[in-house]
Amino acid sequence: MSESVRHAAFDTAHPVVPAVYLVLTLGMTMFCLQPVLILLSLAGAFLYGARTVGWRRCVGSLRWQLPVVLLIAGLNPLFSASGSTELFRLGGCSVYAESLCFGAAMGGLFIASVLWFQAGSRMLSFDRVMALLGNAMPTTALMVSMCMRLIPRFVRQGRTILAVQRASQPREMTAAERLRGRLRASSVLMGWTMEDSLETADAMRARGWEARVRRSTYTRFRFTARDGLSLAALLVAGTVCCLLGYAATAQFSFYPRMSQLLAWWGYAPIALWMLLPTLLLVRAERRFS
Amino acid sequence: MSAHVDFTRADAAASTVPCLPALEVEDLSFTYPGAEAPVLNSLSWEVPEGSFALLVGGTGSGKSTLLSLLKPEIAPTGEREGRLLVLGRPVSDYTPAQSARAIGYVFQNPDNQLVCESVWHEMAFCLENLGMEQGAMRRRVAETSYFLGMEDWFRHDVDTLSGGRKQLLALASTLAVQPRILLLDEPTAQLDPIAEKNFLHALFRVNRELGCTVVVATHQPRAMVDYATCAFRLSGGALTRVDDLEALRERAALLPRVPAAGEEGAGAGRVAVELRRAWFRYDRGDDWVLRNLDLSVRAGRIHALVGGNGCGKSTLLSLMAGVRRLDLGKLVCAERARALLPQDPHALFAEETVDAELMEWASAAGYGQREANEMLDALGLGACAALHPYDLSGGQQQLLALGKLLLTKPRLLLLDEPTKGLDLPARRAIAQLLREQGDAGVTMVVATHDLDFVSQVADDVSMVFDGEIACTAPREEFFRGNVYYRP
Repeated sequence: MSESVRHAAFDTAHPVVPAVYLVLTLGMTMFCLQPVLILLSLAGAFLYGARTVGWRRCVGSLRWQLPVVLLIAGLNPLFSASGSTELFRLGGCSVYAESLCFGAAMGGLFIASVLWFQAGSRMLSFDRVMALLGNAMPTTALMVSMCMRLIPRFVRQGRTILAVQRASQPREMTAAERLRGRLRASSVLMGWTMEDSLETADAMRARGWEARVRRSTYTRFRFTARDGLSLAALLVAGTVCCLLGYAATAQFSFYPRMSQLLAWWGYAPIALWMLLPTLLLVRAERRFS
Repeated sequence: MSAHVDFTRADAAASTVPCLPALEVEDLSFTYPGAEAPVLNSLSWEVPEGSFALLVGGTGSGKSTLLSLLKPEIAPTGEREGRLLVLGRPVSDYTPAQSARAIGYVFQNPDNQLVCESVWHEMAFCLENLGMEQGAMRRRVAETSYFLGMEDWFRHDVDTLSGGRKQLLALASTLAVQPRILLLDEPTAQLDPIAEKNFLHALFRVNRELGCTVVVATHQPRAMVDYATCAFRLSGGALTRVDDLEALRERAALLPRVPAAGEEGAGAGRVAVELRRAWFRYDRGDDWVLRNLDLSVRAGRIHALVGGNGCGKSTLLSLMAGVRRLDLGKLVCAERARALLPQDPHALFAEETVDAELMEWASAAGYGQREANEMLDALGLGACAALHPYDLSGGQQQLLALGKLLLTKPRLLLLDEPTKGLDLPARRAIAQLLREQGDAGVTMVVATHDLDFVSQVADDVSMVFDGEIACTAPREEFFRGNVYYRP
């Protein structure tokens, strides 16, 4: 048992706590088009990623992230030729500094959102999402669970069918033959899974499916008083941060001329919010070193 | 050696009930709609509480029908007469919830009977259906997991489990409601020998430690004799008690004449398939499945690949079939006409009738209706030509799949577990068919767990272990040298 477990922030909390944090963070990231806020969000998401999956992988993924930012920054002036500081002209189009900055900000926002989604998938693993769903919509949760069980199975069965087909056809197939082969495989798969589902239905009924009108839901996560406190604190802090973010975004504009960015106390709480998962991880790790 | 009689029952509750039969069947007759003759014919049966009962009989003898009639939710429709009592109460009196609590039912196919995506969710499925409250559910799930030693894989995804663990999970999921009687329909037919023993041992503990009555329907009772307290044979719609349990251990011959060792088929001596220093893995991030493997298969011989689950047997077959490519090393295969028989014959069925199934590849492979009809007769399926392939029994399906492949006249036939879950007549038919192909010079590679089959049908045997071939030898030499690994 030497396999080490990678812990995520909030992993001792009820799933609803990281869910609320993620929703608020993603909201702040996506709706606050303001350079400082975008940088803070980007930094928070990047540091958390580095802490959980390692610096090397995070720096490695900059290889596609930076070009995306540059691409969006470069394309934006071509579509929105607004601004006041003309840098140069490109085939009759003026390229403005403001437009370029707006593009770069959009690119940063996009990458920050992607990074937060990745962080989110580590904080809210599939079974935690299911637990959240399970409380609200037990039937939907069960259906999702059943589908998740079936998908890898279909893929495996499909591969077997194709393998059997391919083995009997030694020569290279033409495109038309390959298409026909795929169609045949899907019809075989259909018959096979229908046949299997008859037994599944029996197995479900044998174990009391539809025996009661209301099912109960087994949850592995208990909502404790501590979770309640965390949730309340998160909601209060989140509201404050959202208001600050709104204020910062409202006073800033890219066009026609970029507003002046000032040192402002309001950035501090937002920075703290964005760094929260990293700080929580660092604190948890400190206890073991 | 009657190890089955002297066990004292650990559960006191079972012995305090004064000999109440767990199952009582009186004068039961059952006819499927449209069928002429009844499957079960005024049958009477009594299973005492706390026993471990075997219900033996060939495929189609009505074992499954009899078991499912005892579980009202899955009972087949048809004409029924007679009385069925479970724990002293008529079956029809049970509500679905009561039946789910008292009567557990485990099916044959581990993949088909699991519903949820994770182990813990599957364990709770039945409890959730019964609307049990949270605290009680936690306790039942925890208790059952400990009883079966499932803690290590409690959080795993169902799809990542081996067949043996899946079947154990199916058992756990039914045990969580604490049924008083467990009915199992061929529960180990799809498992390899090691997994089968594990499963039976768990079942044995359920029976002796929890006092739960266990009834297992099976056509291969050999591995279960050690655990059973009584056995019944179902044939011709009637039930008889088996007095001599030891007789159930008997191993029947698969071929009328076991070919002598060293007897060569046509074209012998030539190497048909050869792998040299083969390395293979499925994905960049995966571990190697084959590590520096060398193997040569001689033409016109039946070459068996044996070894545990996940040792790379099926991978080897798909490589030889040309479905996958080696990462490193060389694969030389002299035969162009190949065919691959998958573990599950369903992967081959694309048509509506047995006859159309055999004709599917007629124009591509260059054969006609006459050859298909001959094959139909050779398979003994002449009477089933108009049936849907899915309506055949498991053994007939496997024969049909094999026949369909043989019509394409392969020179190299690759078979993945061709005898899995089949009863004696079907295994005999498969053995016969393969032997005939061997005599006609077809090279065959068979990946299998069925050592009984290997010891009677194969020419050469290779043991695959840890991505390599641990040894290759002619059949008799192979089994002579093995201490643990024998049928």
